[in-house]
Amino acid sequence: MILQVRDLKVSFRTEQGVVRAIDGVSFDVRTGEVLGIAGESGSGKTVTLLAVMGLITDPNAIIEGSIQYRGRELVGMPARDMRDLRGREIAMIFQDPMTALTPVYTIGWQIVEQIRAHQSISKKAAWARAVELLAEVNIPKPDEAAHRYPHQLSGGMRQRAVIAMALSCNPALLVADEPTTALDVTVQAQILDLLRKLQKIHGSAIVFITHDLGVMAELADRIMVMYAGRIVERSDKADILANPRHPYTRALLDSIPPLDGPRPHRLRTISGAPPSLLSLPAGCSFAPRCPQRFDACVAKPALTGSGHATACFLAVP
Amino acid sequence: MTVLYDIKGVSKRFSIGTRFSAQGRRTVHAVDDVSLSIMLGETLGLVGESGCGKSTLARCLARLYDISDGSLVFDGSDISHLNARQMRPHRRKMQMVFQDPYASLNPRRRVADLIAEPLRIHLNLTESQVQARVAQLLEQVGLLPDHAQRYPHEFSGGQRQRIGIARAIALEPRMVILDEPVSALDVSVQAQIVNLLADLQDRLKLTYLFVAHDLSVVRQVSTRIAVMYLGSLVEIGAADQIFAAPAHPYTQALISAVPKPVYADGVARNRIILAGDVPSPLNPPSGCRFHTRCPVAQQKCRTDRPALVQHRDGRSVACHYPLVAPPG
Repeated sequence: MILQVRDLKVSFRTEQGVVRAIDGVSFDVRTGEVLGIAGESGSGKTVTLLAVMGLITDPNAIIEGSIQYRGRELVGMPARDMRDLRGREIAMIFQDPMTALTPVYTIGWQIVEQIRAHQSISKKAAWARAVELLAEVNIPKPDEAAHRYPHQLSGGMRQRAVIAMALSCNPALLVADEPTTALDVTVQAQILDLLRKLQKIHGSAIVFITHDLGVMAELADRIMVMYAGRIVERSDKADILANPRHPYTRALLDSIPPLDGPRPHRLRTISGAPPSLLSLPAGCSFAPRCPQRFDACVAKPALTGSGHATACFLAVP
Repeated sequence: MTVLYDIKGVSKRFSIGTRFSAQGRRTVHAVDDVSLSIMLGETLGLVGESGCGKSTLARCLARLYDISDGSLVFDGSDISHLNARQMRPHRRKMQMVFQDPYASLNPRRRVADLIAEPLRIHLNLTESQVQARVAQLLEQVGLLPDHAQRYPHEFSGGQRQRIGIARAIALEPRMVILDEPVSALDVSVQAQIVNLLADLQDRLKLTYLFVAHDLSVVRQVSTRIAVMYLGSLVEIGAADQIFAAPAHPYTQALISAVPKPVYADGVARNRIILAGDVPSPLNPPSGCRFHTRCPVAQQKCRTDRPALVQHRDGRSVACHYPLVAPPG
C-alpha cells in the first residue's frame, strides 16, 4: 500500500458560505497500480489530487481526514517536508504542459534543476541524465531538444518533457491531472502508449484523473467514479466498464455516443446538471437527477462492498 | 438532393509576422483549395486535429473571414465577396453557434435581450411580438420562461449553450454552423445538447455544418463527414462508410486513435499510432501533406500531391494509395 486516504474532507470558506468540495473520500493506492478517478467538472477529482500533492495552499481551505503516504501523514505535514517529498517520491504531470514549464529556460535546464533539487550530483551528470530521460520519453534528437525552449516544441513534445521531468527522480507515485486532455487524439494515443510503457518499466503507481472514460479504459487498472465530492463507485476497470452498478456510472457510460455499431436515434441523457456544492442535497447527491430514486435516497448512502464498492441503496452486492 | 451551399476552391491565407521579425512576413495556408457541397437538410461533420483549418473553414463559410480564393454559393447567391452590409440579408439564413458558451454571450445583457437581438436587427416586429417569440424560443431549447430575465452567469455551461442555440435559430435560418458546440461541456450535458440539436433539425428542417474534434459525437450527428488535415480535405463521405471502412490512411489512424470506454482486455486493439506531430502549416511537406506521418507512404507521395477524387461508392478521397480501392 503506497497511499491511504481516509475520510478526506476539503472545504473552502467563500463569501457565499462554506463550499464542501470533497465530502469524506477514502481510497487506497497499491504499489505499482494505476488508479483512475473519473468525474465531471465539480465532482472533486482535481481537489482530491491537489490534496494528495499538498498543493491546496488557499488560506480559506479546511482540510480534514488523513492522507498517508507509506505510513507518513501528509495532512498537516510542514511545507518543507512536503516539498522534499514532492518531486522526489511523488511527482505530478499537469494537464497543460505550457503552464507546467517555465518559458524562459530550456527544457534541459529545467530537468537539471529538478534533478539537482533532490539529488546531489554534478551539473554535467544531471545534464546527461536529462538527455537520457528525454530519450526515454521518445523525444527525437534528445541532445538537441534539451537545448530548446518550451515554445519551440509542439504540445505533444512538451507533455513528453513534463513526463521526463516527473520521472527524473524515479517517483514511487505519479499523480496526473488530465494528462492527455490538451492533446490531439493522435498525439494522445502516443502519450497513453508511453505512459503505459513507462509505468511497466518503472513500476510507479499512478493516480490520474480524466473526464474521458475512453482514456480511463486505456490507462487505469482500477476506476473510482466521483460525483459532487463523493465516491459513488469504485472497482476494477472491468467491473466499472462492463458491469456498472451505480445509476450515475451507468448513465455516464450510456451518454457517450458509440464509435461502432448502429447509431442510436437519440442519446441517453442525465436530466439536469450537477448540483451546486453550496447547496448539496441532504441525502444522495445524485438523487435529484437519478431515474431510479426512491424513498431511501433522502439518506446519504455509504460506500459499501469490499471489491466492487458502490454508494447506492439499490446496488446490494 | 439539393445543394444548399456550394464551396469551390476556397483558400484562406493569413499573413503573420512583420517585415522586422526574424523570418520576415510569412504566409500561413490555413485552408488550401477546399471544395465541397453541403446538401439541404443534412448534417455535414467536419473533423480534424487542431491546426487543420476546420474552424477557419467554418468561419470562412459563415463569412466571418474574407476568403483569399475560390467561390461560395449559398442558397443560389454568390456570397464570396459581399461586404458586411451586403451579407445582412444572407445572415438571416445562416447562423452560427460558438464553442465557448462563456465567451460568446454578453455578460451584461439579460437572456431575453440576447435572444431578441437578432430579431430586433433583422425583423420589423413590435415589442410584444418580440417577447412572444423569445418565450417560444426559450421553450424550444428547453429553458423556462422565467429564465428570460436572468443574466448569463446564472446559468450552467449546458444552459448557456441552449441560449446560444436559441439566438442562432431565432431568425429561422436554413443553415446553422456549429463550431465545437459541445466540446466545452461535460459528457452528461453534451448528450442533452446533441439530442436538442437533432430535435431542432427535425422540427425546423435545418442544415448543419458541425465542426468538432470528438469523433464519437461527430459520428452520432453527421449524415456525411469531411476529414481535414493541414488545411486540405483528405476524405469526405457518408458517416457510416467513413467509420466502417476509412479509405484515407489519416482517417483510419484518426478513428483508431480514439480511446473507447469499453473493457477490452486480451482483445488486441489494432490501433495505429502515428509517429510525430502535425507539421507546421507555415512549412507544409511537399507532395501529399500527410506523407511524413503516413504508415503506407511511397515515393510518389513525397512528390505528387494527390487530388480529391470521387470514388464509385460516393465518397471522395485524396490519396494515391487509398485503403479501400475504388470499386469497379
